[in-house]
Amino acid sequence: MSLRTNIQRWIFNKESAQSRPAEKLPDTERKPTLAQTLDEYKDCADLIHRTYPDIQVEVLYFGHMVNKDLLNREVIALLLNVEPDEVGNLLNQPQFKVANDSKGLIIGILSGQIAIFRGEIVYLADIRGPESRSVTQSETETVITGPHDAFNEEIDINLSLIRRRVKSSHLKVVKLSVGEITKTNVCVLYILDIVNMDYVDEFVRRIRAIEVDGIYDTNMLIQYIDDSPISIFPQFLTSERPDAIASKLLAGRVIGLVDGSPSVVSAPTSFFEFFSSSDDYYQRWSIGTATRLLRFIAFGITISFTSMYVSVTTFHYEMIPENLLLTLTESRSRVPFPPLYEALLMEVTIELLREAGARLPTKIGQTIGIVGGIVIGQAAVQAGLTSNILIIAVASSAIASFVIPSYVMSASIRLIRFSLIMAAGIWGNFGIAIAITALVIHMCGLTSLGSSYLTPVAPFKFKDWRDTFIRSPFKTLIERPSQSRTKNRIRNKMKK
Amino acid sequence: MVKCILIASVLGTSIILSACSDRRIIEEIGFIQSASYDRSADGQLIIAISIPKADSGSKVSREEFLTTARSAKEARITLSRQSQLTLASGQLRNVLFGCSLARLGIWEHIDSLVRDTVISPQVRITLVDGDAAKLLTRQYKQHPIPGRYIEQLLEKSSRNQTVPKVTLHDFVKEYYEEGIDPVAPIIRDKGDHVEIGGIGLFRDDRYVASLHPEEALIFAFLRGKFNQGEIIMDLGSRNGIKETAMLSAINSKRRITVNFDQGVPTVYCHARIQGSIMEYNGTLKISDIHGRHQLETQIAQNVTERANKMIRLMQNNGVDSLGIGRFVRNSMSYSGWKSLDWMAKYPEVKVIVNVSVFIKDVGKLKI
Repeated sequence: MSLRTNIQRWIFNKESAQSRPAEKLPDTERKPTLAQTLDEYKDCADLIHRTYPDIQVEVLYFGHMVNKDLLNREVIALLLNVEPDEVGNLLNQPQFKVANDSKGLIIGILSGQIAIFRGEIVYLADIRGPESRSVTQSETETVITGPHDAFNEEIDINLSLIRRRVKSSHLKVVKLSVGEITKTNVCVLYILDIVNMDYVDEFVRRIRAIEVDGIYDTNMLIQYIDDSPISIFPQFLTSERPDAIASKLLAGRVIGLVDGSPSVVSAPTSFFEFFSSSDDYYQRWSIGTATRLLRFIAFGITISFTSMYVSVTTFHYEMIPENLLLTLTESRSRVPFPPLYEALLMEVTIELLREAGARLPTKIGQTIGIVGGIVIGQAAVQAGLTSNILIIAVASSAIASFVIPSYVMSASIRLIRFSLIMAAGIWGNFGIAIAITALVIHMCGLTSLGSSYLTPVAPFKFKDWRDTFIRSPFKTLIERPSQSRTKNRIRNKMKK
Repeated sequence: MVKCILIASVLGTSIILSACSDRRIIEEIGFIQSASYDRSADGQLIIAISIPKADSGSKVSREEFLTTARSAKEARITLSRQSQLTLASGQLRNVLFGCSLARLGIWEHIDSLVRDTVISPQVRITLVDGDAAKLLTRQYKQHPIPGRYIEQLLEKSSRNQTVPKVTLHDFVKEYYEEGIDPVAPIIRDKGDHVEIGGIGLFRDDRYVASLHPEEALIFAFLRGKFNQGEIIMDLGSRNGIKETAMLSAINSKRRITVNFDQGVPTVYCHARIQGSIMEYNGTLKISDIHGRHQLETQIAQNVTERANKMIRLMQNNGVDSLGIGRFVRNSMSYSGWKSLDWMAKYPEVKVIVNVSVFIKDVGKLKI
């Protein structure tokens, strides 16, 4: 393959998900038997096997995955008190379902059901245990006004949180399973009549095509299915907030839930969606607009402030106001490194502090804050390691990076900053321009479920801007976003 | 694999080539804040530069270098031999020209300033009545960095219209434009201070005449519109007492129209001045509307007289600093203008000044 096609492929991300292998066919169905099931669970010491010789019934379950009360009330008590000839009638009650294939039986036991063997027939009863975190506030996506509940690790609770918000029979759910060993449940949600079915089909097809041993989180799942796996940018939005996800559903997006993960994915996604928060809609429109614009300014600051410092102090002294130049020269004159190394040193220190703070419990985290504040704020300048203007640049770009509501996006942006600093240190302002141009070219090539990542800027959809860069009043938000490619475009039927 | 090699080679090349670029790390450069050009008695060029110093350890807050040379670029090379820093002119704010040099023409220096891409078009061009190098390199007790002191003085003065704001850009534009001649403020040494010494008028790039600082506002009235300024009017004496009025918070607008009478242009210059009376020691009752109108007429007469005198001075010296030629040019055809030798005709052109004054208010005391 020629170098040119390689470069083109790299720049325009032509490596899409099209080359994924076809879906594997399910195992041949076999009639389940006790011996075979026991053989499957050989050496599983936590499997409980009880026999009731009087009524010729044997049960299999995992003790830690079932609700003990339910187990006693719904199964054990009934089986103990039943007459031998009554068993058949008892097991015909609705909570017992006949299992027809051995694969379903094995998965059923693994997901907390109890298997009841009576002669040739196997019944399954759902007595899953309630051991899950309760619905609490989201720690990564907090809002001031608006609902405070967040998804947790239990997929059923998450589904109920969404269903409670979208009371419509048009809300459809596709159940999938991902991971050859973990067999993680994945649900794909969409609203019929609003969503474009092409997106649903593509989303489901990509999830079905995943062939790995296991996935543990939504953010992991989306890296298997996104259009450009090597890109620095997340191509699907994840959120922990049911209200945000409900609004995405109504905007015509496809939603994916992963069992065991509090994050929920929405697809397709544009780059600018990462800069909006549910808060924007709960505040008055003017405040929502102001905060949204502030986030875009923060984006500019966080990727370019430190690199501007580097380029200006290394190459473009003409750009600094004269009064500032004197103080800057004075504090720079004691620094033994060129501005590039000085900036990298400080940026790495800030990243160290951030990472340490994120990993430590809150009580120790405070110490990190104080130590960091003193070390970075004072001692580094006094020791002549950095100039104080750089401290301001580094600190404000760090603060600005936390303004971006999506943690995944803000982490990506922080990494981009380093390449801009390098470019600035080597080529000055031209370097910044080159790096930003390369970034824009890359982003133009990105797609999310096959739709452009930079919608509504490229392709240019000016109508969408009123809910992208600003949050205009609700009476002007009449249509669903164009990226959803929905046939049902009008969402606000009120007369103006 | 190809991708990896590509990335590695781009990064590698850029790191290797980074040493080849023109790096100017700020603490390693001496940025020239002001420069002055003078002519010595034997015709040599004297160049002085002033570099603010940022070293907090030393008491001296600036460095000056002085050299004689044949050209500015030669001077830069000689000067850089005296400094441990790389001299850079990207922060140049002031260029001072000695009047003796300016009388011979300063275009070659202006040309070299404009040609240098790092020099801002906002650099101020100023004339110095006396020795420019001495003015720049001497110690002022209250002003550690004379370059900045001069810059701020000029900035404030141009805001109040006591001198016109003349940047490199303005000078070059007026130099090349047909129908207007450049001007530049004049400053002079006054012991511990620097003071505004008037306005220098140029014919092409040669300094030929100057206006007294008191006439600066009249010049401003005739030259364009502005929104801030104050002027003291001498309204003659009555009963042995000198009557003066001070007009403040002035808004002024100017309109020039040209009439042709058998091919000879007559230029009408209308100035509309609005202002508040801050001080008046005459006999008129200015809180009364009639008294105020009388005063307005008196002031208008005074301004007209002074304006006429100024235009006569310009015509006698053959400098069109007000840009009258521009209006004449705009009122005729291209070929007509090309066939007209404006500078030859200019001294004879009749310029009629018409000033209207409006006093907005007379202060708090209404008696």
